[in-house]
Amino acid sequence: MSDAQVTGETTERNLVETINETLAAEMRTDDTVRLLGYDIGPIGGVYRTTEGLIDEFGDERVIDTPLSENGILGTAVGMAMRGERVVPEIQFMGFFYPAFGQFMYTLVKMRERSGGAVDVPLTVRMVCGGGVKSSEYHSESTESYLVHTPGVRVVYPSGPREAKGLLAASIRHDDPVVFMEHKKLYRTHREPVPDEEYTLPLDRARVAREGEDVTVVTWGAMVREAEQAADAVDADVEILDLRTLSPLDIETVLDSVKKTGRCVVFHEARRTLGLGAELTAVVNEYAFDRLLAPVQRATGYDVHFPGNQIEGEYLPDAQRAKYAIEAVMGYEF
Amino acid sequence: MALWSEERPSEDFYRVLAPDGTLVGDPPDLDDDELRELYWTMKLTRAFEDKALRMQRSGEVSIISRCRGEEATPLGAAAALSPGDWCFPLYRQRSGLVYWGVPLDRQLANLMGAEPETIDDHLPLDDATEPPVNFSPGYVPLGANLPNTVGSALTDKLNDRDTVSLTFVGDGSTSQGDFHDALNFAGVFEVPAVFICQNNQWAISVPAHRQTASETFAEKSDAYGVPNERVDGNDIFAVYEKATEAVERARNGEGPTFVECVTYRIVEHNTADEPSVYRDEEQREYWLERDPIDRYEAYLLAEGVLTDEDIDAMEDEISEEVASAVAAARDVPESAPHRMFDNHLRGESWNESHQRAELERELDGKNPFVDWTGEGFE
Repeated sequence: MSDAQVTGETTERNLVETINETLAAEMRTDDTVRLLGYDIGPIGGVYRTTEGLIDEFGDERVIDTPLSENGILGTAVGMAMRGERVVPEIQFMGFFYPAFGQFMYTLVKMRERSGGAVDVPLTVRMVCGGGVKSSEYHSESTESYLVHTPGVRVVYPSGPREAKGLLAASIRHDDPVVFMEHKKLYRTHREPVPDEEYTLPLDRARVAREGEDVTVVTWGAMVREAEQAADAVDADVEILDLRTLSPLDIETVLDSVKKTGRCVVFHEARRTLGLGAELTAVVNEYAFDRLLAPVQRATGYDVHFPGNQIEGEYLPDAQRAKYAIEAVMGYEF
Repeated sequence: MALWSEERPSEDFYRVLAPDGTLVGDPPDLDDDELRELYWTMKLTRAFEDKALRMQRSGEVSIISRCRGEEATPLGAAAALSPGDWCFPLYRQRSGLVYWGVPLDRQLANLMGAEPETIDDHLPLDDATEPPVNFSPGYVPLGANLPNTVGSALTDKLNDRDTVSLTFVGDGSTSQGDFHDALNFAGVFEVPAVFICQNNQWAISVPAHRQTASETFAEKSDAYGVPNERVDGNDIFAVYEKATEAVERARNGEGPTFVECVTYRIVEHNTADEPSVYRDEEQREYWLERDPIDRYEAYLLAEGVLTDEDIDAMEDEISEEVASAVAAARDVPESAPHRMFDNHLRGESWNESHQRAELERELDGKNPFVDWTGEGFE
């Protein structure tokens, strides 16, 4: 990772283990960190991200709630207004929408409306993404709804190593954060994670791979697909892992695209008004005369998430990324 | 033109002071100064809001929702709090804010549309002006305050503090999901919260009987295991007493309480509203006879706590206080346009710095759209 100053011992970890251990570490160092959500207590989360935490920290730090996303978020905002670093969990992004009122009315606006007098230092853990043969309501990637809204950071790790530093930074940050956890990443991938404590910036993209011919801008579960695509194409591919979707690290995107002259935006979310639309517009506005080809979006289709027999055909993957890279490489004016 | 019918709510509720100012129950244990302060607060609130209404008519204030005729409910509730407690108001609880000294000039500057940062710059709070009770920003999306209040109260409970969080809900906003979430969470976690239902019987143009088939709003909290009271909301003693009991219950670790205060919105919803379009304004007569200030004044005069001369003197003082707030609010300069960017996220993102620069150029009469590289204008 390009900005890693982290050295020393590492341990192989998957995302579930990393989230679990990072939550525990933050709870040990800061008594105001409390978890709020349903199924986070004795069962340890439906994906086991909070396993064992109620045993170590008790039911006043790991708080199972009634089944209401809006109640969870509204209560968490009230706790955060009083200085608690609450970490509410939204079990599935597809169930987030009842909480959209609290998100829009209080979470994103409290600081601005109070002239900076009232902070909401919470971190909403948002379980998202498809590809695990789950139901359509359990597979959504609707981060555009969040990113369209000012006043909240949206953070999206691509794997365990990133997740550790980003989650610690999110919990410690005084701004409200939505921390996206792609459920397919939970257990499919292990990598060495530094044992020592570290944070990563909440406004900087990571150059996941350097290259000269084409920039692939992506995040979350698509980063590894992009890497596979890069291995398979006849081009020198630069991959940007955005890590933070709001605020966007536009400087890094423009620097890269100006260098390569070609850009593919690759995301799991639907295409229309997906973040690819914004990134394409920014590249168009500020790097137009460096472009050797139109910006190409490789994304999910503009449909509701399909049933699990055909979700593989919906989901962008290394093959779709490869096609997009080949298309921009082959473009001729 | 079709008008709504109105259903007068049952007066089978807790009442201490009858509409004519006579006692029908035991008054709360308040000394003469405290009794006069309650009266002063209602009068000041009414004078302030009437002035704001006139300023709206002349274009200085964009919009105002008055609590005229309802002053006893937010006042009696807020007066039950102690320094250090938390209050989460909507926009029709001004008497509660006035009681705890939320500065009138800051309130008025807000009504005049100043950005909060501009108000802080020109009318800063200091140790002398900071209200001893913590007030959240007023909530406009009704009901959104309620789960936040539960969170605030839960925080105090989990930290073993005896602080109380008190909030308000209208008759209309009991129909919001937030109301049910909040009551449910409050009951489950037994939080030290007090919910005051300011039932003024109208949600803009929709009457209370269109909000619920329940006989009372109070009984709604039964389903959540939250005890409730129902009081005459125009009776300052009744509201104060039941709110005080609720606050004490909360402070003693006995959990939340829901208090329905029956009042009536005798005026417009806000300055963009004309009630005669949808309701029979003759109903107002019935409620004007139940005005919270008139009945309380009659009581204080009869008890010798106030004289007519006292009232005259108070009215002069109130006029001066309102005039001084108006002058101070008018002295707040127009907010600088770039204030719109303040206090969103910490640090300055690429987008924020570019958009700030675009705005500055536009304000300078320059074309903001000439930065073709994203590297700045120079």
